[in-house]
Amino acid sequence: MLKYLKKYWLWCILAPIFMLGEVAMDLIQPDMMKEIVDDGVLMGNLSVVFSVGIRMILLVILGGVCGMLCGVFANYAAQHFGNDLRKSVFDKIMHLSFQQTDKFSTGSLVTRLTNDVTQIQNVVMMAMRSVVRSSLLFAGGIIMLFRQSPKFALITFCGLPFVIFIVTFFMRRASKLFSLVQKGLDGVNNVMQEDVAGARVVKAYVKEKYELKRFDKANDHLCNINLKVQSLLAYMGPLMNIVLNSCVVAVILVGGFTVKDGGSITPGEIMASITYVAMILHGVMFIANIFQTFTRAKASIERVDQVLNDRIVISDGECTEQNTLSGEIEFKNVSFSYPSSSGKNALEDISFTVKRGETLAILGATGSGKTSLVNLIPRFYDVTQGEILVDGVNVKDYTLEDLRNRIATVLQKSELYSRSIAENISFSNPEADLWDIKRAAEIAQADDFICATPFGYHTPVTEGGHSLSGGQKQRISIARAILKKSEILIFDDATSALDLKTEADLYAALKRECPDITKIIIAQRIASIKNADRIAVLENGRITAMGTHEELMEKSEIYNEIYCSQLKEEAKN
Amino acid sequence: MRINPEKEIPKGFEKTPDNIGFFAPSQVPPPPSGRPQGMNRRPGGPGAMGRAIEKPKNTSEVVARLLGYFKNEKKLLLPLILIVIAVTVSMLFAPSMQGDAIDYITEKKWNSLYFVLGSMMALYIFQSVCTLFQTLLSAHLSQRIVRKMRHQLFKKIINLPIKYIDTHSNGDIMSRLTNDVENISNTISMSLGSLVSGVLTIVGTITIMLFKCWQLTLITLLTVVMTVFVTQNLSKVMRKIYKRRSVALGKLNGHSEEMITGYKTIASYNREKQVTDEFNKLSDDLCNVSMRAEVLGGSMGPIMNCISNISFVIVAAFGGYFALSGIISIGTISAFIIYSKQFSRPINEIAMLYGSLQTALAGAERVFELIDNPDETDGGQNTLENIKGEVSFKNVDFSYIPGKQVLHDFSLDVKPGQKIALVGATGSGKTTVVNLLMRFYNTDSGEILIDGVNINDIQMDELRKNIAIVLQDTVLFSDTIGNNIKYSDMNASDDIMYDAASMSNSAYFIERLPDGYNTFLTQAGANISQGQRQLLAIARAILADPKILILDEATSSVDTRTEKHIQNAMVKLMENRTSLIIAHRLSTIRDSDKIVVMDNGRVVETGTHDQLLELKEKYYRLYITQFAGNEI
Repeated sequence: MLKYLKKYWLWCILAPIFMLGEVAMDLIQPDMMKEIVDDGVLMGNLSVVFSVGIRMILLVILGGVCGMLCGVFANYAAQHFGNDLRKSVFDKIMHLSFQQTDKFSTGSLVTRLTNDVTQIQNVVMMAMRSVVRSSLLFAGGIIMLFRQSPKFALITFCGLPFVIFIVTFFMRRASKLFSLVQKGLDGVNNVMQEDVAGARVVKAYVKEKYELKRFDKANDHLCNINLKVQSLLAYMGPLMNIVLNSCVVAVILVGGFTVKDGGSITPGEIMASITYVAMILHGVMFIANIFQTFTRAKASIERVDQVLNDRIVISDGECTEQNTLSGEIEFKNVSFSYPSSSGKNALEDISFTVKRGETLAILGATGSGKTSLVNLIPRFYDVTQGEILVDGVNVKDYTLEDLRNRIATVLQKSELYSRSIAENISFSNPEADLWDIKRAAEIAQADDFICATPFGYHTPVTEGGHSLSGGQKQRISIARAILKKSEILIFDDATSALDLKTEADLYAALKRECPDITKIIIAQRIASIKNADRIAVLENGRITAMGTHEELMEKSEIYNEIYCSQLKEEAKN
Repeated sequence: MRINPEKEIPKGFEKTPDNIGFFAPSQVPPPPSGRPQGMNRRPGGPGAMGRAIEKPKNTSEVVARLLGYFKNEKKLLLPLILIVIAVTVSMLFAPSMQGDAIDYITEKKWNSLYFVLGSMMALYIFQSVCTLFQTLLSAHLSQRIVRKMRHQLFKKIINLPIKYIDTHSNGDIMSRLTNDVENISNTISMSLGSLVSGVLTIVGTITIMLFKCWQLTLITLLTVVMTVFVTQNLSKVMRKIYKRRSVALGKLNGHSEEMITGYKTIASYNREKQVTDEFNKLSDDLCNVSMRAEVLGGSMGPIMNCISNISFVIVAAFGGYFALSGIISIGTISAFIIYSKQFSRPINEIAMLYGSLQTALAGAERVFELIDNPDETDGGQNTLENIKGEVSFKNVDFSYIPGKQVLHDFSLDVKPGQKIALVGATGSGKTTVVNLLMRFYNTDSGEILIDGVNINDIQMDELRKNIAIVLQDTVLFSDTIGNNIKYSDMNASDDIMYDAASMSNSAYFIERLPDGYNTFLTQAGANISQGQRQLLAIARAILADPKILILDEATSSVDTRTEKHIQNAMVKLMENRTSLIIAHRLSTIRDSDKIVVMDNGRVVETGTHDQLLELKEKYYRLYITQFAGNEI
């Protein structure tokens, strides 16, 4: 983590130095006030008031300038540090393999990138300003107080343990409660989110009262725990004040005794001492405060470090010579199990070849391994055993960029970004012009509905594509894949939300316009894939049958069963 | 008192003049606390850090309504105000006592000194106790109000017409309940005391100072004017730049969230570089603007420090002059110095409060806006008991957006126990029919009758209790699987639940789970597959045992072989029930008693499967594309 700060070492040194200047001015200032009061006001010497006053104002301005400069330097370092850290975390996230992203979960990655990095940045800032400031004030205050009067310093030392005890006592208790507050808040948010998203079901089952009760339970819990934290902390301030003010009273009292015993303590000295006492005790409180932030930031640092230090599992292969692009795929005895699963293979001993321009359909029940199979081709995951060749070369030997340039995948769940429809389509190929985009959309059967939107291709897509229906999102994703013009096209159940006619038109257009592209299509409906060159039937991670529709009708029992379940009567005829 | 983590030690205010001032006996830095990190659920929202200060549109009305919440809290509010007054008044006396004590030392009046010191100590303890109660009371008050506000808001949301939820983003609704209410709560608990005591302090201090020496008071006031002037101007500039920062932050967070959730697509299209470049640009923007904001915010402290020291010298100089002229004593000067400090504190506080108050009021306005939406209507008076389940649509017209009609003259008669399939392309109006029957939306014209009664005349709850619905997007709740199945009737016996589960074919997978029916569904069922979720939704509908059943793409994510197993259950489920089925798969539809083919909001064909095939029209074409003619 520190290496990100190294670049800004000069600023990191300058900031505390200037802070030293500021603190020095702060420390001298009560002393000068004393001079003004004792030598000027008390002695009736106005010229002292003015001369010392002007000197003091100048010093204060100097201190202020130092403080501001310290702020500039500390900010420069902290903000750039945060910026660099943020950038490298994002860069790292973008290069994580899918299994790593699965492990972290995207939600947690977002929090790490935003909240955690900000938290760390704040701590760096704090370290350079508040920590330096508080400890300097604390130390300086003690020295100055000793110079003023050792007796007064002794009083402060009596107060100190109380302050430290109070602070640590409350911090420890409160930090435990804070995590409970977070949980309570999650509870409230959870009910809320579910009910807003599932409003139809709540209403359909007439459960408004039940849900309100459920919410009230979560709400009461949160309020109670909040109240607990606030009540606990309510004791802290007043206790601190009692300690602090007792010290002030003690200082005046001791001052009085000293004068009574014939000692020499001036009113100015007492006033200055009180200021120093307050300075020291406040310093302790601030340091305690900072400690708490530090412990919290430690968790953030760990979380960010986990991301930064996670070894990238899938990386570029030793790029061999440029081979021809043809679009041939070969699976050789491929087995695969998810790294997180306990050894159970998701795919077992898969072997097949797909030729240039061929269409291979994959059919199978939920969980039979269809998605896992296609995810291996662009190396979203790596095979556990066996090998996959694309254009005759093992996928592991390509650079990831080269490999993935050969393949366009349409995912099960369409991922769209909040930019215009045209930009969403050209995401795969930024050089494409509007004409190309329109062409791709036409093939994907998306042109009609896009043109019907208010601004056509320039219509913005809202976050996550909520403004579009499922079928529309899928067609935009398909257009995006087509525009990439790769030699391999993979549809992972990408047409599930399309109605039958649109789906049929789409496949017809695809066959007509892109005859040379190798296609792998995962589907649920037999009708969608009946005319594929070959159909593979996947069952529990194994290919149980492979062939044309007619062949499978003859030889595969499972295929027949699926077929019957979809089109039963016709099958008999 | 709860403060944002970022604001723990408010940046730029770490060093208010009070913390290092000459006498600062009763100021304590904000309690070390704050909310645990990640409190903001939506990192993308601009609320995550450095909130922009927004202005409410109608301040007085919002304030009046917010005050309405306090009206019912008189039991807490009155003691709270009394305590605040007590604390403030006692704080006003403390400096003059300190001044007196110093005077007694110079004058060597020992007995008076002990007496003053004793009363000072008593005063401080009294103050501390009062502050304690003040904080406790205001915490109770704010939590009570927040609890009530959240309750009202949620009650409203749950009773809003579906139309509102369909037309507003979930995130927006959520953020009112979380961010806005939190904001209001923080402001209530922090500002209430500060405002009252601030005003009191200012008025009280001026009065006491005027009594002591009016000449010096005027001079002190002059320095206060200077402070206010600088604060005002600085904060104006700061507000602007903070707003710019939160815009930059919002953009960056939005981009991160979107790109990280959509990382699969980025990886498959090799767009890492482009996306990272975009991110870097946004990140640099944020870095630049927040640096400026922080430096500016950070200079506030030193500037205030300068001003307060300048005023000290001015007060000391004039005080010295007046002391020489015999107008005042030394103690008075020291008291004046404290008073001038005491003065600038509430002014600074109120200036800072002003911003958060504005934000809170804007939040309150949004909350009230939502609360003011009319509830869903209750419907009519009629109840539905032992209905037969006859449904008819008579010449129904409907549009979601005026001018864009979705249903045209839609008529349909369903006899009790009949199975009707609605078929048609996406956007042909199938789901709209369901929305109208459930009265999620109301018809524009025409009427819908159940057993001959217009549904507008039936009590809303009665109507919905008699209809069960299974949706395409399965909704499950973070509860046990058992309770999710029992959703329609939480008091249902386990046996009924087992029956529902086995009829829907979900018993098989549920029993294989380690905790069976007690398995807790996390994140609304994220831990089971989409197909399994649909099975549970079907089980739920079975348990509800309705007279009328609606299946909207209910089995789209169940693979066809599993679906075939459910089919048998479905046939049983649909016996003696009026059923409306929407499905893409013609195989699901074929067995219906009547198939209704819809196109652009109109019924184009009705009949049985065989009849429609013979027609060789729309249904035939749909059927052919499904079965025979499509090419790949």
